[in-house]
Amino acid sequence: MEMHRTSLPMGILVTLLFLFLLAPVLLVFPISFSGDQILAFPPSSWSLRWYSALASNTVMISAFSTSFVLAAIVTALSLLIAVPAAYAIVRLKTAGSEFLFNLFTAPLLLPTIVLGLAILIVFASIGLLATFHGLVIAHLVVTLPYALRVLAVSLGAANMACEEAASSLGAKPLTVFRRVTLPMMTPGIVAATALCFLVSFDEVVITLFLTGPRLTTLPVELFNHVERRADPLVASVSVLLIIVTLAVVLIVDRSMGLTKTFVEKK
Amino acid sequence: MMHQKNFAAEASQGDPDAYLRLEGVSKTYGDFEAVRSLDLAIGKGELVALLGPSGCGKTTTLRMIAGLVPTSGGRITVGETDLTAVPPHGRDMGLVFQSYALFPHMTVARNVAFGLEMRSIPRGEIDRRVKEALAMVQLDKLAERRPRELSGGQQQRVALARALVVKPSILLLDEPLSNLDAKLRDEMRTQIRDIQQQVGITTVFVTHDQVEALSMCDRIVVMRNGRVEQIGTPVDVYERPATPFVASFVGRTIRLSGTANGDGAIDIGGDVIRSAAGLAPGPAEIMVRPHRIEVDWTGQAKTKDDVNRLSGVLCRITFVGDVIQYHVGIGDAEVIAEASTTGNQQLPAAGTPVTLSWRVEDTMAFGSGQ
Repeated sequence: MEMHRTSLPMGILVTLLFLFLLAPVLLVFPISFSGDQILAFPPSSWSLRWYSALASNTVMISAFSTSFVLAAIVTALSLLIAVPAAYAIVRLKTAGSEFLFNLFTAPLLLPTIVLGLAILIVFASIGLLATFHGLVIAHLVVTLPYALRVLAVSLGAANMACEEAASSLGAKPLTVFRRVTLPMMTPGIVAATALCFLVSFDEVVITLFLTGPRLTTLPVELFNHVERRADPLVASVSVLLIIVTLAVVLIVDRSMGLTKTFVEKK
Repeated sequence: MMHQKNFAAEASQGDPDAYLRLEGVSKTYGDFEAVRSLDLAIGKGELVALLGPSGCGKTTTLRMIAGLVPTSGGRITVGETDLTAVPPHGRDMGLVFQSYALFPHMTVARNVAFGLEMRSIPRGEIDRRVKEALAMVQLDKLAERRPRELSGGQQQRVALARALVVKPSILLLDEPLSNLDAKLRDEMRTQIRDIQQQVGITTVFVTHDQVEALSMCDRIVVMRNGRVEQIGTPVDVYERPATPFVASFVGRTIRLSGTANGDGAIDIGGDVIRSAAGLAPGPAEIMVRPHRIEVDWTGQAKTKDDVNRLSGVLCRITFVGDVIQYHVGIGDAEVIAEASTTGNQQLPAAGTPVTLSWRVEDTMAFGSGQ
C-alpha cells in the first residue's frame, strides 16, 4: 500500500477516531479474561474460566457451528445466484435489467426489522420458522443485494473488449465466461464472498424472528444470553466472533489485498 | 450524390476478386440509422481504412464484420461463405482494439496462445507458433510478463500477435493507434503496415485520423452519417475528393463560395476561377490545399492559362517553423496559404495587397447540393 505522509495533528485526530470506534470492541478482550461472576470493567480478578465455560456450553457451541455452516452455505448460494445475475444485468443488458438490478438491491434500503417481520409472517404461514433452510432463505434476502452490487461493479469495471477479443479468437460464449470474464471478476468475487459471509455470520435482526429453542445462531444466542444473565461469557463469545471476522478479513487481505478489493476497482 | 452511387456500384459488382464483401449492410438502433445500406468489396491482402469522424458508423461497420453487432440488413461474405448469421467465435477474424483488450490475468505468451488453444492445436505447435508470433512483433523477451507490466505500444503489439497467430482470414483493427503517443504512433504505423504486407492478410482498419489512413492503406472508405462518401486510393481521395466533406476531412483546405456560370468558371467576388469540374450554373464552392497556393506581393507573377488567380489583402503572417502561413483576406473571407520557409525571406507587412495563384487542376469545385 502506498504510504502518505501525515501531519502530526492529523495523526492524533486519526488515532483518536480509531480509539473512539474501536474502544468498546477492545474492551471485550480484557473482560473475557475476567474471573468475576458478573460483567464489569475492570475485572477484579483474571482467569480463563469464561473460555472453559464457553467450551462446555453446548448451546453456544452448536449455535456457533450453525452460524458458521449457515454463513458458508448462504455465501455459496449468494455467489451462485449473483454471478449469473450480475452478468445478465451488466453484460446482456436485457430489457428491464436496470429495473431488475434495483429490485434485487432494494432490500438494502428497507429497514431490516420490517424485513424480519415480513419474513416471519410469510414463514409462519408456510412452516419455515426455526428451520435451517428457512434461515438460509432469509439470509439470502440480505446477502444477495450486497453480492449483486459488488459483482456488478466489478464486472462493469472489466473491459468488455477482452471478452469480445476472446470470442473473436474462437472461444464459445461459455468458454469466454469461464476463461476471461470470471478471472477478471476475481477481486469482486473475493470481496462478495467476504461480505456475504460476514453479513450472514453476524445477522441478528431478521434471524431473531426466525430462530427458536431448537435452532439458533451465535449472535442470537449471544443476545438471548445477555437478556438472561450478565456474566462475562458474552465477552468470550464476542472474542470468538471477532476472531472469525478478523480471519475472514485476513484471508481477503492475504489473497487480494484489502484496499484493492474494497477500495480500488481496477 | 452522383459520385457516391458510382463508387458504391463499382465496389460491389465491378470487382470479381473481392474477398470480403458487404452488400447493403445496415444497422439501426431504434430510429437511429448508424449504418445505411453499405456496399463494400475488399480484395484479398488489401488494407482498407474506414475513415470518418466519430459517429459516422465506421466502428459499427467493423463490429458487424466481426459479428459483435448483429446487422439490421444486408449480407457479409468472406470468399464464398455467408457470415451474416455466424457468431463471432465462428468467423475466424483477428481483432485488435483501441484499448488493447489483453487478458489481464494471463501472461503475454498465454494471451497469444489463447486462440490456438481454442483451436485444439497440440501444445508443442502452440509454443512454437507463439514464439514466432512474438518474434514477429519483437516481444519474444517479454513472453512471461503480465500485460500491465508492458507499455501501451508493447501491449498493442501483443494484441496484434494474438490476433495474427491464429492466421485469421481477416484482420480487423479498431483505432489501434489512438491510445499511443505521437512518436510511438508513427512507429506502430510502419510496423503494422510492414507486418500486414508480410503476412498478406486482408485488413480493415478503422480510424478517425486521416494521416493514418493516407499513409498506411491501399484504399480509403470515407464515411459520414452512416454512409459512404467516397471509396478510393489515398491519392484519389486526397486529390479528387468526391464531396466537399471528403475534401475538408482528408487533408486541409481553404474554402471559398461563389457562383458557377455554367461554362466551367466560378465567379468569386469578381474574380473568375476555373476548374476541371463541369458545374451547372448556381451557387458553388471551391476548395484548394493551402500548400498548393502561391502568394505573390511583388506584382510580377506572370499570368498563365492553367493558373487561377485571386487578389486579396494580407492580414497577418504566422511562422510555424517548417512553413509560413499567410492569412489573406478575400472579400469577407479569410484563407490561409502555406509556403515552405527558406531561411532569409523578406516578408511583406500586414495590409500589403497580394495575389494568390494555384493551378487549375488543384482547384476542387463543388456545386450546391453536394
